[in-house]
Amino acid sequence: MTATADRGAAHAAAATLLDRMVRDSLRWLDGARPHFRLPPDVATGADPNLTLKPLGELAELTHLIRTSHPRADIRAAADGLFTFAWNETREGELFAELVRGEPHATYPLEIYGVFAYAGLRNTAVEAILPTTTGLRSWRVAREDHTRTLSVLDAERRTGLRQHADFDTVLGLTGLGLMAEPWALDRMAVYGITHDVFHLTDWGRERRRVPAALADYLRLWLPSWLDSWLEEQLWDLVGELLAVAACLPSAPYDPVAWQRLAEAQAADGSVPEMGAAPESGDAAEVFKACYHSTLVTAFAGTLARTGLEVSAAAEAGQAQAVAGRTRYKSEEPS
Amino acid sequence: MPLSAVVADVATGVVLALRGGGDPYALSRVLPQDDPLAPAAIRVLGADVLAPYALDHRSAPAGADDETVVRQALAAYPPGPDASEVSVWTYRGLIEASRALLPGDPGDADRAWPQVPRAGAAWITTDPWPKLAFRASQLAALAFPGLAPDLADGLAARTDDLARGFVRAVRRRDWLQAAGLGRWLARLPHVPPTLGLDSGLVFVQQMSDGDARVALHVVAARQFYGRGG
Repeated sequence: MTATADRGAAHAAAATLLDRMVRDSLRWLDGARPHFRLPPDVATGADPNLTLKPLGELAELTHLIRTSHPRADIRAAADGLFTFAWNETREGELFAELVRGEPHATYPLEIYGVFAYAGLRNTAVEAILPTTTGLRSWRVAREDHTRTLSVLDAERRTGLRQHADFDTVLGLTGLGLMAEPWALDRMAVYGITHDVFHLTDWGRERRRVPAALADYLRLWLPSWLDSWLEEQLWDLVGELLAVAACLPSAPYDPVAWQRLAEAQAADGSVPEMGAAPESGDAAEVFKACYHSTLVTAFAGTLARTGLEVSAAAEAGQAQAVAGRTRYKSEEPS
Repeated sequence: MPLSAVVADVATGVVLALRGGGDPYALSRVLPQDDPLAPAAIRVLGADVLAPYALDHRSAPAGADDETVVRQALAAYPPGPDASEVSVWTYRGLIEASRALLPGDPGDADRAWPQVPRAGAAWITTDPWPKLAFRASQLAALAFPGLAPDLADGLAARTDDLARGFVRAVRRRDWLQAAGLGRWLARLPHVPPTLGLDSGLVFVQQMSDGDARVALHVVAARQFYGRGG
């Protein structure tokens, strides 16, 4: 078999695996709709980490899948979940209530931004946001610069003036500083994954990664993946695989993907850590699995679209080695 | 005294000599007198027991006593037919360093050094990076000026992988492995700047809380290759 045929077979096997993983994840997420449903006290007493955070993640990641997955059935499944999420917010009415309840909190804007980006808008929210986000207090530096990137993204998506310069803030993060790769704890690695997601608009704009940062990530992702695979922290494994797929050359790691596939249960769920929970309590299972399962669907989608990019990069490198053309990988656009 | 303690004592003597403290180095003096574990300790530390002789001003000229103890170690612990590649390579390293730094006499059959055994090298190109890094760290005593040039050339093609191994080792708090890899990286060209090798070596030494073998690799990286601050 020729090298080209080998690559073709590997590409097809990877696509099959990724599509199965994404489809299974979405099926489980679809069945988990009752747990994503917002309680009546969502704007008053409920813990947003257990209500709005899961729903916001569902919206962000299914929006990417519904607009970029090459398979129509998968796009349709993601679209159904995205519409469900919008309906849960009562077509955005909820965000106006949340802003009135907590005018200085960023999460209502961050989640609303996902829908605004998709063209789903709410006039009451649009009327109130310029007031709250136009205050000097909104510009006070936040403790977590990665989170500030998220706020800046939401401002851009919503059409508000960005309260700080994206590149300046990026320069203060783990990614922007290219922190020593051996000096990162779990939270710092999570931070870097999100720096990448914000920089690339959740993988839509691979070329936005500057060459130096792409090289940094390409070099150290294998070490980080090795660590977190060993600890079986599946959500971080999924996020790191998504980061790989966000790079301009989208390197595909078949071993790591196989390990994540083995962690996915037959029902499509992926536990956050270790083995699947044995609890019979559906709410507990949801809490333990929703995030990793969403991340798996997201990473699988990015890796799937990245297969075309990495195949082209490999072919280009082969050509460059042969001296015919010069392939410039990982250059900023 | 268990072997690990003997090894640590000898390593401490080597570290002091490389740093330039105390009396001029003599291997026979840092070895416990008449300790039956002395040859084993030499075999464990390999070429490093002779490292101070490579820095002229840090040692007295190596003497006949040193030659005798190294010869005992080589005779007592040759790699057997089933020996690991690491074992063969470290044995080679000790012979090469002895030839370079101890008196010997190639014309005298009793004082000639053993033949250098053939050591497998395929792993240097074929090992996946975690395994490569692990093996290379066990061969850190060969990251020594002039020693094992073929091994160094082979590893030079895989500096990214060794650097990934350094990251992995620090993450696992395996300070000895990290220090050994850091020492190789200090010898090799084209180490990725974002690794932060210099601060990494210092960090590893401080985290290891006085481990003499870790200190030995770190001080060797500094004295022989100027890395590690």
